[in-house]
Amino acid sequence: MAAAQILIDEKNTLFDKTGMFYKKFPSDFRQIRYYTLLIVEKAPAEMKQIYLLEQQISELIKNAVKHGNKSNPEKFVECWFRFEDDMAHLVIQDEGKGFKHLEKWNEFNLERTRCLQERDFDALEQYVSFTSPDSDMTDNGNALFAAVQFWNSGLVFNKKRNAVAVMKKYHHNKPWRHLEDD
Amino acid sequence: MEIKLRRNSQIFIIDIEGDMDLYQAYKLKELVAKMIQKNIAYYVINLEKVDYIDSSGVGALLYVHSALKKLKMKLLIANVHGSVKDVINLTQLMDYFNITKDVSAAIQELKPYIT
Repeated sequence: MAAAQILIDEKNTLFDKTGMFYKKFPSDFRQIRYYTLLIVEKAPAEMKQIYLLEQQISELIKNAVKHGNKSNPEKFVECWFRFEDDMAHLVIQDEGKGFKHLEKWNEFNLERTRCLQERDFDALEQYVSFTSPDSDMTDNGNALFAAVQFWNSGLVFNKKRNAVAVMKKYHHNKPWRHLEDD
Repeated sequence: MEIKLRRNSQIFIIDIEGDMDLYQAYKLKELVAKMIQKNIAYYVINLEKVDYIDSSGVGALLYVHSALKKLKMKLLIANVHGSVKDVINLTQLMDYFNITKDVSAAIQELKPYIT
Protein backbone atom coordinates (compact mmCIF):
# COMPACT_ATOMS: atom_id res chain seq x y z
CA MET A 1 0.00 0.00 0.00
CA ALA A 2 1.61 3.22 -1.18
CA ALA A 3 0.73 6.30 0.84
CA ALA A 4 -1.86 8.41 -0.92
CA GLN A 5 -0.60 11.86 -1.83
CA ILE A 6 -2.76 14.92 -2.27
CA LEU A 7 -1.82 16.70 -5.46
CA ILE A 8 -2.12 20.20 -6.79
CA ASP A 9 -3.22 19.87 -10.39
CA GLU A 10 -5.42 22.65 -11.69
CA LYS A 11 -5.45 21.22 -15.22
CA ASN A 12 -6.80 17.89 -14.00
CA THR A 13 -9.94 16.81 -15.88
CA LEU A 14 -11.73 16.56 -12.51
CA PHE A 15 -11.94 20.37 -12.59
CA ASP A 16 -13.97 20.24 -15.82
CA LYS A 17 -17.41 21.32 -14.59
CA THR A 18 -19.29 20.71 -17.83
CA GLY A 19 -22.77 19.34 -17.24
CA MET A 20 -22.56 19.48 -13.46
CA PHE A 21 -25.23 20.72 -11.07
CA TYR A 22 -24.33 23.84 -9.12
CA LYS A 23 -25.22 25.15 -5.66
CA LYS A 24 -23.80 27.96 -3.56
CA PHE A 25 -24.10 28.13 0.24
CA PRO A 26 -23.22 30.73 2.88
CA SER A 27 -20.66 29.48 5.41
CA ASP A 28 -23.04 28.49 8.19
CA PHE A 29 -21.53 25.69 10.27
CA ARG A 30 -24.95 24.65 11.60
CA GLN A 31 -26.21 23.95 8.09
CA ILE A 32 -23.41 21.70 6.85
CA ARG A 33 -25.40 18.46 7.01
CA TYR A 34 -28.43 20.14 5.46
CA TYR A 35 -26.37 21.50 2.55
CA THR A 36 -24.97 18.01 2.08
CA LEU A 37 -28.48 16.54 1.83
CA LEU A 38 -29.38 19.09 -0.86
CA ILE A 39 -26.49 17.73 -2.92
CA VAL A 40 -26.93 14.03 -2.16
CA GLU A 41 -30.62 14.13 -3.13
CA LYS A 42 -29.43 14.32 -6.75
CA ALA A 43 -27.69 10.96 -6.45
CA PRO A 44 -29.50 7.92 -7.90
CA ALA A 45 -31.55 6.16 -5.20
CA GLU A 46 -29.89 2.84 -6.05
CA MET A 47 -26.41 4.19 -5.43
CA LYS A 48 -24.51 1.92 -3.06
CA GLN A 49 -23.60 3.08 0.44
CA ILE A 50 -25.31 6.42 0.06
CA TYR A 51 -24.82 7.25 3.76
CA LEU A 52 -21.06 6.94 3.25
CA LEU A 53 -21.26 9.26 0.26
CA GLU A 54 -23.24 11.73 2.39
CA GLN A 55 -20.66 11.57 5.16
CA GLN A 56 -17.73 12.09 2.80
CA ILE A 57 -19.38 15.05 1.06
CA SER A 58 -20.20 16.65 4.40
CA GLU A 59 -16.49 16.48 5.35
CA LEU A 60 -15.55 18.41 2.20
CA ILE A 61 -18.19 21.05 2.89
CA LYS A 62 -17.13 21.28 6.52
CA ASN A 63 -13.52 21.88 5.47
CA ALA A 64 -14.65 24.63 3.09
CA VAL A 65 -16.95 26.31 5.65
CA LYS A 66 -14.63 26.03 8.62
CA HIS A 67 -11.03 25.95 7.43
CA GLY A 68 -11.54 27.80 4.15
CA ASN A 69 -14.08 30.47 4.99
CA LYS A 70 -13.53 30.46 8.78
CA SER A 71 -17.34 30.22 9.18
CA ASN A 72 -17.72 33.77 7.87
CA PRO A 73 -21.38 33.92 6.67
CA GLU A 74 -20.44 36.53 4.06
CA LYS A 75 -18.20 34.01 2.35
CA PHE A 76 -19.68 31.28 0.18
CA VAL A 77 -18.99 27.67 -0.60
CA GLU A 78 -19.57 26.75 -4.24
CA CYS A 79 -20.39 23.16 -5.13
CA TRP A 80 -20.47 21.50 -8.53
CA PHE A 81 -21.63 17.90 -8.61
CA ARG A 82 -22.77 15.08 -10.84
CA PHE A 83 -23.78 11.53 -10.05
CA GLU A 84 -24.24 8.42 -12.13
CA ASP A 85 -25.17 4.93 -10.94
CA ASP A 86 -21.53 4.02 -10.38
CA MET A 87 -19.86 7.42 -10.04
CA ALA A 88 -19.81 10.58 -7.92
CA HIS A 89 -17.87 13.68 -9.01
CA LEU A 90 -17.71 16.98 -7.10
CA VAL A 91 -15.80 20.23 -7.05
CA ILE A 92 -16.00 22.23 -3.80
CA GLN A 93 -14.58 25.74 -3.70
CA ASP A 94 -14.32 28.25 -0.87
CA GLU A 95 -13.15 31.86 -0.58
CA GLY A 96 -10.32 31.13 1.81
CA LYS A 97 -6.56 31.38 1.52
CA GLY A 98 -6.14 27.75 0.51
CA PHE A 99 -4.84 24.59 2.18
CA LYS A 100 -1.33 25.79 2.97
CA HIS A 101 -0.39 22.73 5.00
CA LEU A 102 -0.88 20.34 2.08
CA GLU A 103 2.81 19.34 1.85
CA LYS A 104 2.95 18.80 5.61
CA TRP A 105 -0.16 16.66 5.39
CA ASN A 106 1.46 14.47 2.70
CA GLU A 107 4.56 13.99 4.85
CA PHE A 108 2.40 13.21 7.86
CA ASN A 109 0.36 10.69 5.90
CA LEU A 110 3.53 8.98 4.72
CA GLU A 111 4.50 8.34 8.34
CA ARG A 112 0.97 7.32 9.22
CA THR A 113 0.88 4.81 6.37
CA ARG A 114 4.25 3.40 7.45
CA CYS A 115 2.93 2.83 11.00
CA LEU A 116 -0.19 1.14 9.62
CA GLN A 117 1.88 -1.13 7.37
CA GLU A 118 4.18 -2.10 10.21
CA ARG A 119 1.17 -2.40 12.54
CA ASP A 120 3.12 -0.24 14.97
CA PHE A 121 0.14 1.05 16.94
CA ASP A 122 2.26 2.76 19.60
CA ALA A 123 3.99 4.88 16.98
CA LEU A 124 0.66 5.37 15.19
CA GLU A 125 -0.53 7.22 18.28
CA GLN A 126 1.41 10.26 17.01
CA TYR A 127 -0.22 10.09 13.58
CA VAL A 128 -3.93 9.54 14.18
CA SER A 129 -4.80 13.19 13.80
CA PHE A 130 -3.17 15.91 11.73
CA THR A 131 -3.07 19.28 13.44
CA SER A 132 -1.50 22.55 12.37
CA PRO A 133 -1.11 25.92 14.08
CA ASP A 134 -4.49 26.75 12.53
CA SER A 135 -6.31 23.84 14.19
CA ASP A 136 -8.51 24.36 17.22
CA MET A 137 -9.82 22.10 19.97
CA THR A 138 -12.76 20.95 17.89
CA ASP A 139 -10.67 19.86 14.91
CA ASN A 140 -10.25 16.14 14.58
CA GLY A 141 -7.63 16.04 11.87
CA ASN A 142 -8.67 12.64 10.55
CA ALA A 143 -11.15 13.47 7.77
CA LEU A 144 -8.62 13.63 4.92
CA PHE A 145 -7.19 10.18 5.70
CA ALA A 146 -10.61 8.71 5.01
CA ALA A 147 -11.18 11.04 2.05
CA VAL A 148 -8.13 9.83 0.12
CA GLN A 149 -9.36 6.27 0.59
CA PHE A 150 -12.97 7.00 -0.36
CA TRP A 151 -12.40 9.22 -3.43
CA ASN A 152 -10.72 6.40 -5.32
CA SER A 153 -10.53 8.14 -8.69
CA GLY A 154 -8.84 11.28 -7.47
CA LEU A 155 -8.64 14.08 -4.93
CA VAL A 156 -6.84 17.13 -6.32
CA PHE A 157 -6.53 20.78 -5.38
CA ASN A 158 -6.35 23.80 -7.64
CA LYS A 159 -3.30 26.05 -7.66
CA LYS A 160 -4.75 28.44 -5.08
CA ARG A 161 -5.63 25.37 -2.95
CA ASN A 162 -9.11 26.68 -2.16
CA ALA A 163 -10.92 24.22 -4.44
CA VAL A 164 -10.88 20.45 -4.29
CA ALA A 165 -12.09 18.11 -7.03
CA VAL A 166 -12.95 14.52 -6.14
CA MET A 167 -14.27 11.44 -7.86
CA LYS A 168 -15.51 8.10 -6.58
CA LYS A 169 -16.14 5.13 -8.88
CA TYR A 170 -18.08 2.20 -7.55
CA HIS A 171 -17.46 -0.46 -10.17
CA HIS A 172 -13.92 -1.28 -9.15
CA ASN A 173 -12.36 -1.80 -5.78
CA LYS A 174 -8.96 -0.42 -6.55
CA PRO A 175 -7.56 1.52 -3.65
CA TRP A 176 -7.05 5.19 -4.22
CA ARG A 177 -3.76 5.71 -5.95
CA HIS A 178 -1.27 8.34 -6.78
CA LEU A 179 -2.67 10.01 -9.87
CA GLU A 180 0.71 9.89 -11.58
CA ASP A 181 0.37 6.11 -11.67
CA ASP A 182 -2.55 6.34 -14.09
CA MET B 1 -27.14 11.87 19.99
CA GLU B 2 -28.14 10.53 23.41
CA ILE B 3 -25.74 8.98 25.89
CA LYS B 4 -26.81 6.63 28.67
CA LEU B 5 -24.61 5.06 31.31
CA ARG B 6 -25.00 1.67 32.90
CA ARG B 7 -22.78 -0.31 35.18
CA ASN B 8 -21.72 -3.93 35.55
CA SER B 9 -19.60 -4.14 38.71
CA GLN B 10 -16.62 -1.87 37.96
CA ILE B 11 -17.30 -1.73 34.23
CA PHE B 12 -19.16 1.30 32.88
CA ILE B 13 -21.11 0.85 29.68
CA ILE B 14 -21.69 3.97 27.61
CA ASP B 15 -24.68 3.42 25.34
CA ILE B 16 -24.78 5.92 22.50
CA GLU B 17 -27.88 6.43 20.39
CA GLY B 18 -28.13 8.62 17.28
CA ASP B 19 -25.68 10.44 15.03
CA MET B 20 -22.08 10.84 16.23
CA ASP B 21 -21.54 13.88 14.06
CA LEU B 22 -19.86 17.27 14.01
CA TYR B 23 -22.62 18.78 16.14
CA GLN B 24 -22.79 16.22 18.91
CA ALA B 25 -19.72 14.01 19.12
CA TYR B 26 -18.08 16.31 21.70
CA LYS B 27 -20.58 15.02 24.30
CA LEU B 28 -18.70 11.72 24.48
CA LYS B 29 -15.37 13.48 25.08
CA GLU B 30 -16.91 15.59 27.86
CA LEU B 31 -18.50 12.60 29.55
CA VAL B 32 -15.34 10.47 29.53
CA ALA B 33 -13.24 13.41 30.76
CA LYS B 34 -15.56 13.61 33.78
CA MET B 35 -15.47 9.84 34.32
CA ILE B 36 -11.65 9.85 34.25
CA GLN B 37 -11.68 12.40 37.07
CA LYS B 38 -13.72 9.92 39.08
CA ASN B 39 -11.04 7.28 38.47
CA ILE B 40 -13.32 4.99 36.53
CA ALA B 41 -10.99 2.48 34.88
CA TYR B 42 -13.10 0.12 32.75
CA TYR B 43 -15.16 1.35 29.82
CA VAL B 44 -17.32 -0.13 27.09
CA ILE B 45 -18.64 2.19 24.39
CA ASN B 46 -21.69 0.57 22.83
CA LEU B 47 -22.38 1.75 19.26
CA GLU B 48 -25.33 -0.59 18.63
CA LYS B 49 -27.71 2.33 18.08
CA VAL B 50 -25.34 4.55 16.10
CA ASP B 51 -25.98 4.44 12.36
CA TYR B 52 -24.04 7.56 11.33
CA ILE B 53 -20.56 8.68 12.29
CA ASP B 54 -18.32 11.32 10.73
CA SER B 55 -14.74 12.49 11.31
CA SER B 56 -15.84 14.28 14.49
CA GLY B 57 -17.29 11.03 15.82
CA VAL B 58 -14.13 9.14 14.89
CA GLY B 59 -12.18 12.02 16.48
CA ALA B 60 -14.13 11.60 19.72
CA LEU B 61 -13.36 7.86 19.76
CA LEU B 62 -9.67 8.58 19.08
CA TYR B 63 -9.58 11.15 21.87
CA VAL B 64 -11.16 8.78 24.37
CA HIS B 65 -9.01 5.83 23.27
CA SER B 66 -5.82 7.84 23.61
CA ALA B 67 -6.72 9.52 26.93
CA LEU B 68 -7.61 6.18 28.56
CA LYS B 69 -4.56 4.41 27.13
CA LYS B 70 -2.24 7.02 28.63
CA LEU B 71 -3.82 6.39 32.04
CA LYS B 72 -3.66 2.61 31.57
CA MET B 73 -7.44 2.42 31.79
CA LYS B 74 -9.31 -0.09 29.64
CA LEU B 75 -11.67 0.73 26.78
CA LEU B 76 -13.51 -1.61 24.45
CA ILE B 77 -15.81 -0.51 21.63
CA ALA B 78 -18.76 -2.81 20.96
CA ASN B 79 -21.26 -3.28 18.14
CA VAL B 80 -19.35 -1.48 15.40
CA HIS B 81 -21.60 -2.14 12.44
CA GLY B 82 -22.94 -0.86 9.12
CA SER B 83 -21.86 2.62 8.09
CA VAL B 84 -19.92 3.14 11.32
CA LYS B 85 -17.80 0.14 10.41
CA ASP B 86 -17.38 1.46 6.86
CA VAL B 87 -16.19 4.87 8.09
CA ILE B 88 -13.71 3.39 10.59
CA ASN B 89 -12.49 1.05 7.84
CA LEU B 90 -11.83 4.06 5.60
CA THR B 91 -9.61 5.56 8.30
CA GLN B 92 -7.81 2.15 8.49
CA LEU B 93 -8.09 2.27 12.28
CA MET B 94 -10.14 -0.89 12.83
CA ASP B 95 -7.14 -2.70 14.39
CA TYR B 96 -5.99 0.37 16.29
CA PHE B 97 -9.17 0.55 18.34
CA ASN B 98 -10.02 -2.29 20.71
CA ILE B 99 -13.21 -3.57 19.17
CA THR B 100 -15.40 -6.38 20.45
CA LYS B 101 -18.50 -7.99 19.01
CA ASP B 102 -21.01 -6.88 21.63
CA VAL B 103 -21.37 -5.66 25.20
CA SER B 104 -21.41 -9.11 26.83
CA ALA B 105 -18.24 -10.10 24.97
CA ALA B 106 -16.66 -6.84 26.13
CA ILE B 107 -17.57 -7.53 29.75
CA GLN B 108 -16.10 -11.03 29.52
CA GLU B 109 -12.92 -9.59 28.06
CA LEU B 110 -12.57 -6.95 30.77
CA LYS B 111 -13.37 -9.14 33.78
CA PRO B 112 -9.90 -10.74 34.13
CA TYR B 113 -8.36 -7.27 34.52
CA ILE B 114 -10.58 -6.29 37.44
CA THR B 115 -8.89 -6.78 40.76
